[in-house]
Amino acid sequence: MRASLYARRRRRNAVAMSLSLLATMIGLGWLVLILGALLWQGLSGVSFKVFAEMTPPPGSDGGLLNPIVGSLIMTGLAVLIGTPVGILAGTYMAEYGRYARTTSIVRFINDILLSAPSIIVGLFIYEVVVAPMGHFSALAGALALAVIVVPVVIRTTEDMLLLVPNALREAAAALGIPRAYIIRHVAYRAAKAGIVTGVLLAIARISGETAPLLFTALNNQFWSTNLNAPMASLPAVIFQFALSPYADWQKLAWTGALIITLAVLTLSIVARVLTGSRRQS
Amino acid sequence: MNVAMVNVPQVDRVASDKVGLRERISIRKLDFYYGEGQALKAISLPLYDRKVTAFIGPSGCGKSTLLRVLNRMYDLYPNQRAEGEVLFDGANILAPKQDLNLLRSRIGMVFQKPTPFPMTIYDNIAFGIRLYERLSKSDVDGRVEESLKRAGLWNEVKDKLQANGLSLSGGQQQRLCIARTVAVRPEVILLDEPCSALDPISTAKIEELIEELKADYTIVIVTHNMQQAARVSEFTAFMYLGELIEFGDTQKIFTTPNDSRTQDYITGRFG
Repeated sequence: MRASLYARRRRRNAVAMSLSLLATMIGLGWLVLILGALLWQGLSGVSFKVFAEMTPPPGSDGGLLNPIVGSLIMTGLAVLIGTPVGILAGTYMAEYGRYARTTSIVRFINDILLSAPSIIVGLFIYEVVVAPMGHFSALAGALALAVIVVPVVIRTTEDMLLLVPNALREAAAALGIPRAYIIRHVAYRAAKAGIVTGVLLAIARISGETAPLLFTALNNQFWSTNLNAPMASLPAVIFQFALSPYADWQKLAWTGALIITLAVLTLSIVARVLTGSRRQS
Repeated sequence: MNVAMVNVPQVDRVASDKVGLRERISIRKLDFYYGEGQALKAISLPLYDRKVTAFIGPSGCGKSTLLRVLNRMYDLYPNQRAEGEVLFDGANILAPKQDLNLLRSRIGMVFQKPTPFPMTIYDNIAFGIRLYERLSKSDVDGRVEESLKRAGLWNEVKDKLQANGLSLSGGQQQRLCIARTVAVRPEVILLDEPCSALDPISTAKIEELIEELKADYTIVIVTHNMQQAARVSEFTAFMYLGELIEFGDTQKIFTTPNDSRTQDYITGRFG
């Protein structure tokens, strides 16, 4: 009896194991295929020219310098605007307003914002910034990206601060240390790696966003660092070039896609390493 | 280190000390509530200057709660409130106008679990000092050394002051926390089961330390370990279900308690 029960359990185990393995392989398989295709198609186009020349008209040589710089400017600006807002809001929710009703409402709304389709964010900024200004601009693009950054940073900041043990806050309070000091010197320090990881993940998230940029920063064939004018970005250029009928544009689109993917991959790895080192300490 | 110590000549010493007793903190008719539930009922108790007072009693009797009233730690949380009076040098610390940070800089606290801040050993101690005093670098250095020496940790850490406080062992971390508390020069030190997470050798070190510290501070210790209460304290308060059952000379509480519940608890019949 016991032996047959055990045998049955082993058979079930084997079935479950094979199914899990199969599911893992399917999941990872797509990832490998995507990365493989990107490398295959994109790697051959990577050259010094890509980082040194502007996007070309069809049929001539060129690179991706203006969209790369545009992406860096708008992503940087978005992080500059979004990170302080996100960290301050997250700090309020985890520290000052932990037991407040406002906090649970804000958290609920933030979670909705976190999963809001990015095209809606683009439309929103179009309505409140682009339409009144009368033209597309890099600033509007950065604002749209910032709106995406904020909820990500709020969420990770709050989560990481909530992970800091209360015993640590009590210990600091017991020394007569004012709340603001406790937050800055004890809570932030304990949660630092996690908060930085949140910001990195937010950067990774926005660096591939296309939809919010199409309504705001539009695109630009030429070199421009003017925040008040349309600006090129990698996702928008990829979108435009990949849909075009020209082989050289398509090639550049592949290269751009590879560059974004590698950048995001690097950020994710850095984030992983940071979280890992936090767990050790 | 053993129970026998309780019965030894302490009698004379406590009796003679009584002449110079000064009440540092007076708890008067203190009630404490966690939301609707009442955790402390009409507690009245003196805490004497430069003496060690131990709070003992079974889990949930309110001894930690009482300790946390003394530096108003409960204020960090909503729905907790205290009623009654706690007079510290004559002023009621439960008064709404009481500045909590100032109060806590005068009444320090060491917790059950060691809680070093995520910074260097040096900064763990200098952090509190720098906040309340403008001292030169060398003065801070001196104070850090003095505090670590008082806590009996100096020799173990003097060559690695820049190491992270979390890299120390549990017993060392607890002594670091005591050094940190002493460094801001409080007048009263509250110890909330300071040895319950430590091994016997570390415990012995902390107890020696309490013995030395009471020359300068009023000390209150919550402990589950009755031998410890007997070893380190001059006065003992036995609490049960939120009430103060008996308070008096440690020696008396442990040998001839007035209340049968105290007797039952210290002889291990419950709790």
